[in-house]
Amino acid sequence: MAGPETEQDSAHQLVDHLFRSRAGQMVAWLTHVFGPEHLELAEEVVQDALLKALQQWPYSGVPDNPGAWLLRVAKNGALDVLRRHSAFRERSHQIIAELTRRFDTSEPARWAVEDDELRMVFMCCHPSLPPDGRVALSLKTVGGFSVPEIASAFLVSDATISQRLVRAKRTLRERQVGLELPHGWDLHERLESVLEVIYLLFNEGYNAHAGDDLVRLDLCGEALRLGRLVADSPVAAPASHALVALMAFQAARLPARVDGAGELVLLEEQDRSLWDRRLVALGFAELERSSEGPEMTAYHVQAAIAAVHAGAATPDETRWPEILTLYDDLLALNPSPVIALNRAVALSRVAGVRAALDVIAELENDPALANYYLLPSVKGRLLSDLGDLYAAAACYRSALALPCSEPERRLLFRRLRECDPTHTA
Amino acid sequence: MPKYMLLLHDNPASFADVSPEQMQKVIEKYMAWGDRLRQAGQMHAGDKLTDEPGKVVRRRDGQVRVTDGPYSETKEVLGGYYIIEAASYDQAIERSRDCPHLEYGGTIEVRQVDMI
Repeated sequence: MAGPETEQDSAHQLVDHLFRSRAGQMVAWLTHVFGPEHLELAEEVVQDALLKALQQWPYSGVPDNPGAWLLRVAKNGALDVLRRHSAFRERSHQIIAELTRRFDTSEPARWAVEDDELRMVFMCCHPSLPPDGRVALSLKTVGGFSVPEIASAFLVSDATISQRLVRAKRTLRERQVGLELPHGWDLHERLESVLEVIYLLFNEGYNAHAGDDLVRLDLCGEALRLGRLVADSPVAAPASHALVALMAFQAARLPARVDGAGELVLLEEQDRSLWDRRLVALGFAELERSSEGPEMTAYHVQAAIAAVHAGAATPDETRWPEILTLYDDLLALNPSPVIALNRAVALSRVAGVRAALDVIAELENDPALANYYLLPSVKGRLLSDLGDLYAAAACYRSALALPCSEPERRLLFRRLRECDPTHTA
Repeated sequence: MPKYMLLLHDNPASFADVSPEQMQKVIEKYMAWGDRLRQAGQMHAGDKLTDEPGKVVRRRDGQVRVTDGPYSETKEVLGGYYIIEAASYDQAIERSRDCPHLEYGGTIEVRQVDMI
């Protein structure tokens, strides 16, 4: 906002995403207060509070403490609901006590907020819900995203997301799922589900069309926030820290992932000075925390691989033998052909291109990779490293025939033109 | 400079599906819009009106009668006003053009304050 500063200078700037994050917090809080069967009521009260701000602040200005203002209005809205709905008559004293507890400054307010949100995320990841229901419900309630925003992030229609939400809420009501955190084995399973949803969210955002939809980049931020919420809570397990480390390392690279022209820049070509140092530091800190205990998950290994990249000041300093060993570990935990392909890239740096091409030849027989554009793409890269531009070009053409995103397609074209300058299509 | 009253009529359906993020952006635009006027010393007043139709007072058949104000689910409701300074009607209209009120279907009535 340009302009000289004057005594009447505005408006307290609003913290980025304040409304969205407060919406999520307040929905979690009110769902706890009203009871999980009244989730939709909680959402209504919160939406009304935000609308009041939208209608009021343009005239009165942004209040000194916008979050507190929203909370107060939401509380009053909740009290109104109490008066109007007979369903709450029996519990009204208890609910009023809960509502006012938030304003009691002798309570450790910070934990109370995070506790509500944590319970909400765990509820949204209940095993009775399908994965896409868990993701949609988490984003809508704790995330504070709207139906159109979620729809655009996942490239589906608003109606599809609405349906997922309706079904998810109905399932939770029918099974009377509550906000109590599970124990023992149930907790372990639920935590796995929560981490899965969080990582799904993160990947959705990370693989966003370069330069395009900003909402999808916000998904990375939200995933990281939820991950830290879990990792900092009493129910955290080493895997939680490993996941946060992995996401932090990847998110650190986001500023370098897209160039000035909006084109995708791969890891080995990124300007590493653009990597977010704070996030890299968070990654190392969380990786450290994740090593407390015997548990070793795929998140641990992926985070360790990302850490090796993060620790290399230039691509040439990358310790590829270490990465190769880690990929061996990863493959042992999860024998996926996609991981085998990624391992092949590391293998090429350690044992040479031909060794990698041998592995790729085997992978080409795997039907799981039949439509995976990265297989011919990686092969093309390796062949062009060998100097066989003709064969490389053929690989890139094969890759272009397979599904991939627009920025990736443009990258493939660039590679193709490097091998075959006459290619104009 | 002459003063103009901006009467902001709300479209009741406006903010049905707007996300928290979008609401914040609109508020930020309002702050920016208002600040531009304030920094130029051209913002004089602004108030929100309460969300009810109010009352209408008139004399009829020799008596003062009070009725409820105009209310309709579909009609626009007067939500608030600003009083700004501008060199001319054209300039007052220019100022209204980028008022965020217009973004979600609201309308702005611009009337000059008569200085006698």
